[in-house]
Amino acid sequence: MDLSIFGLSDIVLTLKATHLANFFASLIIFASLMLLFITKNYKLSKSFYALFTLLLSSLFLILYAGDYLLFFIGWEVMSISTYFLLSFSLSKETLHKYIIFAMASALSIFIAILLLYSSKQSFLYANAAESFMALGTFEGLAFIALMLFGIFVKLGTIGFHYWLVDAYQESHNLFTPFLSAVLSKMGVYALIILVTQVVELSYSLAIMGVITSIVATFKAIQEDSVKRLLAYSSIAQLGYIVTVLGVADGVGGALYHSLIHTAVKLLLFLNVAGIIYMTGRSKFSQLGGLIYKTPQSFVLMLIGIITLAGMPPLGGFASKFMIYTSLLDAKYLLILAAVMFSSASAFLYIYKLIYGIYLGHPTNKKLETVREVPWSFLIPQYILALLLIILGTYPALVVPYFNVILQELHLKSIAFSDYATLSTTYGEYNGFVVMSTFTAIFVLVLLVFTNLRSKKKEAKDRFDIAYCGEEPNEATHLHYGFSMGKELKRVSLLSTLYKNSVKPFYDSLAEQTLNFSDIFKKIYTGNLATNFQFATIFAIILLWWSLK
Amino acid sequence: MILLDSLLMFITAYLVGFLYYGLYRNITARFQRRFGPPVWQSFFDSIKFFTKEESTSHGWMFYLGPIIMMSGAIMTLLFIPFFTHSEHFRGVSEYGNLFLVLYLLVLGPLGNALGVGTAGNPFGVMGVTRGLSRLFALEMPFYIAVIAIMSLSGSSDIATIAASQSTLNVVAYPLLFIAALFSFIGMMGQSPFDVVGAPVEVYSGPASEFSGKFLALLMSQSAIFTFAKLVLMVHLFLGGAEGFVELLGKTFALFLFVIMFGSIYGRFKTPQSIDFLLKIPTAIAVVGLILATWS
Repeated sequence: MDLSIFGLSDIVLTLKATHLANFFASLIIFASLMLLFITKNYKLSKSFYALFTLLLSSLFLILYAGDYLLFFIGWEVMSISTYFLLSFSLSKETLHKYIIFAMASALSIFIAILLLYSSKQSFLYANAAESFMALGTFEGLAFIALMLFGIFVKLGTIGFHYWLVDAYQESHNLFTPFLSAVLSKMGVYALIILVTQVVELSYSLAIMGVITSIVATFKAIQEDSVKRLLAYSSIAQLGYIVTVLGVADGVGGALYHSLIHTAVKLLLFLNVAGIIYMTGRSKFSQLGGLIYKTPQSFVLMLIGIITLAGMPPLGGFASKFMIYTSLLDAKYLLILAAVMFSSASAFLYIYKLIYGIYLGHPTNKKLETVREVPWSFLIPQYILALLLIILGTYPALVVPYFNVILQELHLKSIAFSDYATLSTTYGEYNGFVVMSTFTAIFVLVLLVFTNLRSKKKEAKDRFDIAYCGEEPNEATHLHYGFSMGKELKRVSLLSTLYKNSVKPFYDSLAEQTLNFSDIFKKIYTGNLATNFQFATIFAIILLWWSLK
Repeated sequence: MILLDSLLMFITAYLVGFLYYGLYRNITARFQRRFGPPVWQSFFDSIKFFTKEESTSHGWMFYLGPIIMMSGAIMTLLFIPFFTHSEHFRGVSEYGNLFLVLYLLVLGPLGNALGVGTAGNPFGVMGVTRGLSRLFALEMPFYIAVIAIMSLSGSSDIATIAASQSTLNVVAYPLLFIAALFSFIGMMGQSPFDVVGAPVEVYSGPASEFSGKFLALLMSQSAIFTFAKLVLMVHLFLGGAEGFVELLGKTFALFLFVIMFGSIYGRFKTPQSIDFLLKIPTAIAVVGLILATWS
């Protein structure tokens, strides 16, 4: 692109369709198509969809930019159009929080880009590594810090997640899946560009990611709101991606986990949106016992949580396996242990997610008359569930495509023999065998067991349970599990985690900023006469300066 | 061939698992100065329960819970080879790896947790919650030890790890073994980490709503699962086995140690066990990992 008509003859801007950009673009298109199904269930104004289109185009600009300047323009438009989209449902305070963080992110990226430009007068990705090498130590560190700040705010890495959880919770149910599944992936894309084109970040990134995933997982366990829990879960899952990008050969795992995370978060948020649509309730303490009222939603949620937990035989295991083996290969042993620890802790909130909504007892009489979620919610979930099952059975299905991306980035490609076998330097597994073994054993046990069972003995009603010889009734508090995870607060090691929060830090920062701005209030009082006085003084100083 | 192999593995694990369980009941009885039941009593009990009717059922998810748990146990068994070098008794282990097995270990219990939750019995869910709260702390030392072992043997294939031990891992890396053993005691449901089932304390943990044939299924899976976990531990730290005598000898020695440990120590509360596991065994494991991989 030629900017010489603006007098900027030496600035070169390009748009470039890379395979990496195509991958993320296909995620965007796929997610948008899935969301199309439920648009008719919500009455949203035309301006919402107009802004949504603006957002989509800004995302494509981010992806297909061949240089950092166009990337920044895309990033800025994305932040602002997201602001307007969020303003449809967010409270004023949350909206303020979002826009301050989004602007800080955009500005810090802008400063970082200008720093990079200052060394070799080029915005292009192709020259970025060279420009970075030419920077001094201080400028180089400043570039990394500012760039990472901008990206981490978008990813919601712990410490920078202050806006994210509230925004996810309050955003429109149509928009939350998009926020989690797609917008956060832009951070991943920016991070991949940074670590592959500019500078490798190794341990610092890995440690940041691991802390994020552990803290977010434990925060998620305590949440009572369904969408807040999923928001923290989203932060934790992106933490895995950040971790694995700290490894030289981690891009494959990061891409795979991006794909899985997009699919699974779409599935889960759509599922939850359906339940909120039918019941109007969004807290675990107000839900419960919906399994036989909405059986299809339950099964779809089950597929979602199995993937989120990274359990075989579904697709979630494939991406976790890639992440684990690349960390093992790079000898990041303790970091790998911490990632697996966080992954095991996640079982608790994952069980809470399905138990709090579908299992246990209904916490309210109204829940006993809920009907199944409309088909418009179910169809996209079925598509996503099918995708996850296919990826579980043939985990290497996407590997040839990833290899094209990895070759383009000059990285080591993933070994590929057949679609069912996902192989790494530290061992391989055959998804088809895992899936078929599980299915075969399950069916066999089911058949044998069902034949043994002569006649069914169903419970009279939901109170017909073994209850220490007593008979529970309506008044008995039976939905035990919605507060699960509370006892973790009594563990001394973990209680520090729960007592601390980033809120005091940002509160004090806001207070300091307000105090600081008082100085300007003394100058800019709003009184015309004072303004005129200051303007005159300023003009005199300028005059004196120019004559000197 | 694989089918016959798997069937034989299943039958072996079923019988050996119940034999061990019978011995466990006898040995703990001696610790408490009484005589236990006959060795095969639990086996006969499980057969008997298969002919009994359950008192209630709570719909299809409740029905599927124990079945998923049984499937998970058999899956775990089939993905762990019995012997290091043999062509036989290795099920489908060549298609899997240690990471897969680590996840399969929790597949069954999570499946059953769904069944427990469906029944809506608060005592059952209490057990599940305790189990899940304790799970991550329990896995931490084990994960660190296993990661160190995988890194040292350069593979995540269980048979390769077993075969690569010129000196047994338990001798070469005693700290890793000690750390993993703490987790293993918890995985076997032994004191001091047995708060999940918490015999004689809460109503009876995750199994409270299951009766008759469901209970029989849970008992059988527990026997199979116990044996599978013992075999895994033998492969990781005790150099695997070449024949049945060696396998049974090593697994029984490990089992004996675990149950003796379990009968001596009292039970931790959930927060206590999390706190303990995240401090002492994890610290031992980290030191072990650093010592083992420092070079």
